[in-house]
Amino acid sequence: MKFAIVVLSPPQAPSARRALRFCEALLAGGHQLSRLFLYRDGVYNASHATVSGQDESDLPARWRELIERHQVDAVVCIAAALKRGLLDEQEARRYERPGAVNVRAPWQLSGLGQLHEAVQDADRLLCFGGD
Amino acid sequence: MTTLHLFSRSPLADVDALDALAWVRGEDAVLLTGGAVEALRPGSAAAQLLERLPAGAAVYALAEDVQARCLQPEAAVPLIDYPSFVDLSVNCAKVISWT
Repeated sequence: MKFAIVVLSPPQAPSARRALRFCEALLAGGHQLSRLFLYRDGVYNASHATVSGQDESDLPARWRELIERHQVDAVVCIAAALKRGLLDEQEARRYERPGAVNVRAPWQLSGLGQLHEAVQDADRLLCFGGD
Repeated sequence: MTTLHLFSRSPLADVDALDALAWVRGEDAVLLTGGAVEALRPGSAAAQLLERLPAGAAVYALAEDVQARCLQPEAAVPLIDYPSFVDLSVNCAKVISWT
């Protein structure tokens, strides 16, 4: 079964960790994660600049590992990302913020249309936010 | 089961955290995660909302979130792990995330 997953909360939130654990479980169960979409404060999960405490789980790193291992299509909402200071090389160049690049592969910045497409394509859509 | 209703906000923090329970129909499933598991505290106002769900609606809770809060819910509420969470979302025709 194809799942589309939306993450609305930052890596510090238990709900973001829950999203990751759900994704790990669905992939382990033989299902497909057709698209992972970060929206609102969820975009912080894509930051390469996050430094996690030594006694804390490094959620952005765990997301990257999962995405690369399973070749997941991982999209960050571009509007939500830009207003929170999350930029890839192209956007840093466009808005003249040299040195501010903190979003890199495997994540890609794109529009809400990608979420719409994911909803059409997937069998199930789950959103993780809140506590 | 037709629809899985996902809840994650705590009724202790937000008075409207569980308002969407009003949309649960018989044969639907409810999964409490995160702070929403506080609704399992016996005698709480949120627990009364769960008691008023239509007959046939099934309530589940994510085990790790219940254990993290040292809650001891009634035996009638199954505590599930992540593989069972995935199975529940597969077995229901659709999922609504009330985040």
